[in-house]
Parts: sequence; structure tokens; C-alpha cells
Amino acid sequence: MPPKAFKGEYIETDTGNKISRRAQIHGTQRIILGGKTVIQTDAVIRGDLYRSSSSHASSTDDPASAAPSPSVAITVGRYSYISKQAILRPPSRLHRGVHSYYPLKIGDHVFVGERAVVEAASVGNHVHIGKEAVIGGMAILKDFAVVLDGTVVPAGMVVPSWCVVGGRPARIVGEVGEGYGVEGADGGLARERYRLVGR
Amino acid sequence: MSRPFPYTYISCPCADTPVPNPARKRRSRESPQKANPDAPGTDEKGTITEDEEEEQTFDPRSPRSNFSLYPPEQLLYCEDCHQIKCPRCITEEIVCWYCPNCLFETPSSMVRSEGNRCARNCFNCPICTAPLAVSTLENVTVNGTQQGPWVLSCGYCMWTTLDIGIKFDKPTNIRTQLSKLTDSTSRGRQMSKSLGDLKSPLSTYASIDEHLSAAGDNGGPDQSAEPPGPDARFAALKGFYRNQIAETSTSPADPLGTDFAGGFSSPGALNRIMSLYTSSSRLSSLYNKKPKSKPPVMREALTASEGLKVPAPNAEDVVVRRMASDECGWDGVASIEQRSFQSPDARFVDDLLPLPVLLRTKRSKRCKSCKHILVKPEFKPQSTRFRIRLIALSYIPLATLRPLTISPPQAGYPTAAPTVPNLDSLLPLKPVQLLLTLKNHMFDPVRVTLATPSVTPGRVGTKVTILCPQLDIGANSDVWDEALQGSAPGEQRSSRSGAMGIGYEKVAEAGKVWDKGRNWTTVAIEVVPGTLPGGGRRASRANNDFNDGDDDDDDDSLDGKNFDWSGQSKDPNEQLQPDEDVLEIPIFVRMEWDSENQMEQSVSKSSDTVKRELAYWMVLGVGRISPELEG
Repeated sequence: MPPKAFKGEYIETDTGNKISRRAQIHGTQRIILGGKTVIQTDAVIRGDLYRSSSSHASSTDDPASAAPSPSVAITVGRYSYISKQAILRPPSRLHRGVHSYYPLKIGDHVFVGERAVVEAASVGNHVHIGKEAVIGGMAILKDFAVVLDGTVVPAGMVVPSWCVVGGRPARIVGEVGEGYGVEGADGGLARERYRLVGR
Repeated sequence: MSRPFPYTYISCPCADTPVPNPARKRRSRESPQKANPDAPGTDEKGTITEDEEEEQTFDPRSPRSNFSLYPPEQLLYCEDCHQIKCPRCITEEIVCWYCPNCLFETPSSMVRSEGNRCARNCFNCPICTAPLAVSTLENVTVNGTQQGPWVLSCGYCMWTTLDIGIKFDKPTNIRTQLSKLTDSTSRGRQMSKSLGDLKSPLSTYASIDEHLSAAGDNGGPDQSAEPPGPDARFAALKGFYRNQIAETSTSPADPLGTDFAGGFSSPGALNRIMSLYTSSSRLSSLYNKKPKSKPPVMREALTASEGLKVPAPNAEDVVVRRMASDECGWDGVASIEQRSFQSPDARFVDDLLPLPVLLRTKRSKRCKSCKHILVKPEFKPQSTRFRIRLIALSYIPLATLRPLTISPPQAGYPTAAPTVPNLDSLLPLKPVQLLLTLKNHMFDPVRVTLATPSVTPGRVGTKVTILCPQLDIGANSDVWDEALQGSAPGEQRSSRSGAMGIGYEKVAEAGKVWDKGRNWTTVAIEVVPGTLPGGGRRASRANNDFNDGDDDDDDDSLDGKNFDWSGQSKDPNEQLQPDEDVLEIPIFVRMEWDSENQMEQSVSKSSDTVKRELAYWMVLGVGRISPELEG
């Protein structure tokens, strides 16, 4: 048996999130984890990059305006998995001469590979982001999109559902089969992945 | 091979039998005791010694296998044919067209006129294909709205339309603005139409010579006019040839005339077929061949108004000189990839235009043999739901493979360090135990028989033993049943995943399943990876007592058969071919179950259930064998 890690590597929250003690999480009050999310060692989550409310006093479009924190920087759904050394950064944009951050929304059953950098505006459910991929600012990954390893998705790109993108810059290179995302098959292993963490 | 280990592929039998053959099914039912009823070519190609064919195992490395192996989630299942359907066994129908960038649907009537491209603001960079963004040049806001001029800019390679000198007045409807700016299409089309109307009698010239003189006469004014853009020229050419076909095929009733035109336009072909049945006209035309007038001759486009473009005599020289000049250089010349999406005249980076995004489609899928719909997605482009989705995963057991954490103590092998075996470098001749879990998604219990060759095919012979080749898998049930049973399933689940931690206490026994749950069963597989041709020499000598004979057999028997494709090694035996070190296990899966007879429920038979069976080859990608004997 391997020597027990000190007090366990992961902190498990009430909703079942497993967060590595060695992950770098900034601005925790602006990060929402949906539960059963895994954040591995050395992952960087930049919750401190949020839209300053000074320019946006009336942020009615923000769904989380009712939450105790004024604006949410990063939302992650259930059973999502942030691998080692991945970086989640809210996207930013120069709009009308003002540089401001926009919220980063990640859906359920999302896999973010090692050393990937995600600056997307939204990542749908069952999205797979390969290792060392870069998701450019304000990109949108729809449900069941697959980003191959090492892909650079350019800023502002939209990846439709069921599409596989690869290359630098990313292009649509194929489609996943209809069975993608079925529980237990490829794209549907999120629960299994969650279960095996921290044992 | 691109998938991480361990992976599963399933072979669609369609690669072996070109025609879906019901006889094959019948055969397999008649002879269920045979290990391999689906062997290739047992039915039609019986000329080859049939028994030999029958015994042939599936070789995942054979070139044919590339065409039949699919990841399980790509396979469909036809409930009428009771067969697995791969992407080659289906036909597709387009449900809708949509732009992958703005996700708007394009009505099918518009798809052709828009050139299969998005008609809105979606463009790809002509340099790097990244999507272009509409952005403003000057950061001036008036009344809270930004003012132009506007450009398309690439966030990836920093190209903008300013590089080719294009600005837009409005941020919307860029495609029409662009076509107005770059190509004199609309203007050119009008011009060519007016000219074409004037010249239309020319197309009835009976001979080309006659026309040439005429063309020479009025060649002057044509060249003086501004040359139309490529789109306008294409439109002119299209109109010209349509006229030519119409004029040369004298009358649709004439079989000979339509025969000729049939090659150019499909309605003509239809006419010809129809005229076959009106036999009177056909016979009359055959028997009383009235002396016809000289048939009109089709000619080619001759003037600019008809779409002809004669490049200037020194055009090539100009291009070459420009390429050689300092201000152009290598960077100024468009690459082949860039040019392939542009007009054929584009040679330089300056000529490249933004590309409207190509549309994508959502498609429904039908079985090729029985035409039943297998997949029907929702019509809306953004929806990910399906109205019909018959995927193979809901019928065949889902196979997942994982290594047993600790290999049990084996005679002569001290217990290895308690680590998960690295599937990317499996040690040769060192037994590895794997757990294969089959999960049933059907609501009927299934009996599964697994068969595998004891030594994997190919030069790297790996010994494979399935410890429990016959197993039963329980029926799938509603998720609620599981939930209402309380915590029992949860415990089961934890015991299952906990097996990884406490696995060393449990020893895999032959003939017994490893673990079993509500709708899944796990069996253990023992694998002794073979030695690689190059590095295996030392290994085989060192382990003479272990599998001496086996190793020698492999080397000797295959000496003559294998070619060294790389041509680098003197000894072909020493050379490892690409991916030869990947350990893939072919497993023949045969499943039997009793299903309710949904087809003939009205006919009350003695029993309501029908015995069904399905058999297919599955390939488990276990890992890569390392060349060294000791890690």
C-alpha cells in the first residue's frame, strides 16, 4: 500500500466537490461549483478576475446577481473534472474602451485536460477538452463538443454540438458518434472518474 | 490507436460480407456451438477450404480490420435486422443546414443560392481559417452606439480586411457588402445578361467557322468592356451552356435529340426513359427515318459576355515577376491551402478574400438494408436531443477494461511493487491481470460467451486467458428501482470500485466471475505479453524455461511471411513495425437473450419470448509492450 498522503490530498465539500489542497484557487467567493466537481493539483482557477461593478451597476443580465457576491466569475457544473495544472480564466474583452471580464460558465460532465487553458465564455455539458489545449477568449463550446489534445481554439470561435475540433487554429475535423456521452461509454465517464479520485 | 489505453473497438461484420446476408444469421443459429459463425466469407466464397475459413480468428492488425473496427459509441443497432450497423451500413438524410458559427438555420431553399455558406456575418480568415470578428476602427461612440468604419479582423493571426483594403459601412449584412465591394457580380451579371440577350441568335450557328467570323467582327467592343468578376463569368458560362443544350436538342420527343442532351441534363435522361414506353413514337422514328436537317453543333464560349476569359499574353510573366520582386517575397504568395478555397486567379496574399463560413448539416440515419430510421435528431440546430436514437450501446453489453492493481504472486515471480501496471509499457512475459466489466443496458438478462485465441495473432504472440468465458449479466432496470432499494446498490458500487484497492486479497479463479452487480458482470483476464521481435531476443533466452517453444514457433513460422516495410533493418525479424508493440486482444462475443416478441404480439404463440442472439468481434486495446524485459 502506498504511504497515506497527509490528511488526504483532497478536501471534500458538502456537495461532494473534491478539491486538491495544492490547487491554486483565487477569489473563492466568486466561484460556484455545482457539486461532485474534481479540481486536481496545481490547477489554477482565477475567480479574482471578475467584472468590476463600478461600470456595471445594473447587472440585470447576470443570473447570479441574487447571490451574496455581486458577480460570479466562474461557474462549474456537476461531475466536471479539472485536471492537473489546468488554468481556468474568465474571458476578458475591450468593450467601448473599457477592459472588463466576463463570467466563465462550465457545464456538467466536463473534462478539462492537463495543462489546458480555458478562457471560454461558455462550455456546455459533456465537453471534453484535451490536454494542453487552449480555449481562446469568449469562445463557446456547445454540448458534446470535443477538443483534441493540443488544439488552439481561437478567440470567439463557436464549436457546435457533437463536433470534434483539432489543429492550430482549431477547425472542425469530425463528429462524434450518436452514442457519445452515454453513461459509461466515451464521453460519459464523468461519474466513474469522480469516484476514483482520492482513493 | 489514437485512444488512450485501455480502449474497446467493435467490428462491424459488414466489412466481411459485401451484401448483408440473412443466410449468415441463419447459419449462426444453426450452428451455435461453433466458436466463430461470423468468419469472413463462409457463405459465398465457399470455394476456399471452408473449414479453414471458419476457424479464422479476427486479426486486429490485418489491413481489412481498419475498415470494420469502430468505437462502440459510433455504432447503431437496427431493431429490424437485429444487427449492429456501422457508419457504412447506413444512409444519411439531411435534416437541416446550419452555420457552425452563428448556429442559425439556413432554409434548404436558400442553401444553393447562398453557395452553401452562411449569408450573415460569419467569415473565416483566409490566412489561417480562424473565425473573423467584426470590429470597429475608431473607438467613437455616438448615443451609446459605436460608429464605423468596420473591418473583419482575425484574433488568431491578426489579419484584417484592411490588409486588402476593405472597410464596411455597417456592422451587419457583411456578406452582401463584401460581394458588392470585391466582385462586380451584380453589375457584371446585368451586363452579361444584356449582352447575352443581344447575342442569343449567335448560339444557333450551325458551324463554328461561321461563328468565328462573327465573333471576330464584334470582338472589339467586348474587350473594351470591364472584365466581369469570376462569379459573373461563371453565371455567364452557365447560362451560355444551358442555352446551348436547349438549342442543340431539337425537340424533347425526338429520341436521338434527347439522347444527346441526356448526357448534360438529367431531365433529358428522364425524357428518354419515358419515351421508351411510348413505343409508337420510338418505332416510327426508327422505321421512317425522315431525312433530317443537319444537326446543330454545340460550340464553346467565344466572347467575354458568354463567360470566356482570355488572359493577357504576358499574364504569367507579370505573376512571376511579382513573385520574384522584393516587396512580395515568400510571405506575399498565397499557399496552396489558402488558394484552394479562393478564386483560381488568386495567387498572392493580397488577393485572398474572407471566406463565408461553410454550412454544416444535421442528418438522420437509416438502415441501408431495411430503410428503417435509426437516428433522427431534433430539427433545431442547437438542440442535442434525438427523436429516435437506436445506438448499439443500448443493446450490446458495454465493455470496460481496467488493470487489476496488483498482480497476484506467480510462481517464479516475486510480487511486484503495488502500483498500477503502466499500460503504456507492459513488461514482456510478465503476467498482467485485467478486469473486463460487461454492463447490460437491455431490460432482459443476457448470457454472454467470450472466446479468444489463446495467443494473439501477429508476430508478438501474447497469451490470453479469459478465466470465466461464460457469464450471465442481469437485466437493466429502471433507475428508480435501484434508488428505491436503498443503500444496497451504493454498497455494491463501492465494493466494486473498492476492488481496486483491496484487489490483492482476492485471487482470480478460473471459471468464476470476479464480481457481479445488478446489470454488470466482471471477469478476469490473464495476459502474458509476448516479446517484441527486436528486444525479445535477450528476453526469450533469459526465460527459456518459461515459453521456449512458443517463442521459437512464432519466430520460425513467420520468418517468411513478414516483410520489412521500413527497409532499414538487415534482419527483418529485428525490425519492429509501427504499432506492432500495441497489445490488442480480439475477443469474440456471443450473446443470447430472450426478448419479448414485439412484432407478432397479436399472434398469440405458445411463448411470448423469442430467443435472440448476436455475435460480433470486439478488440480490446490493452496497452503497449515495452521493448525492455526489466522495466
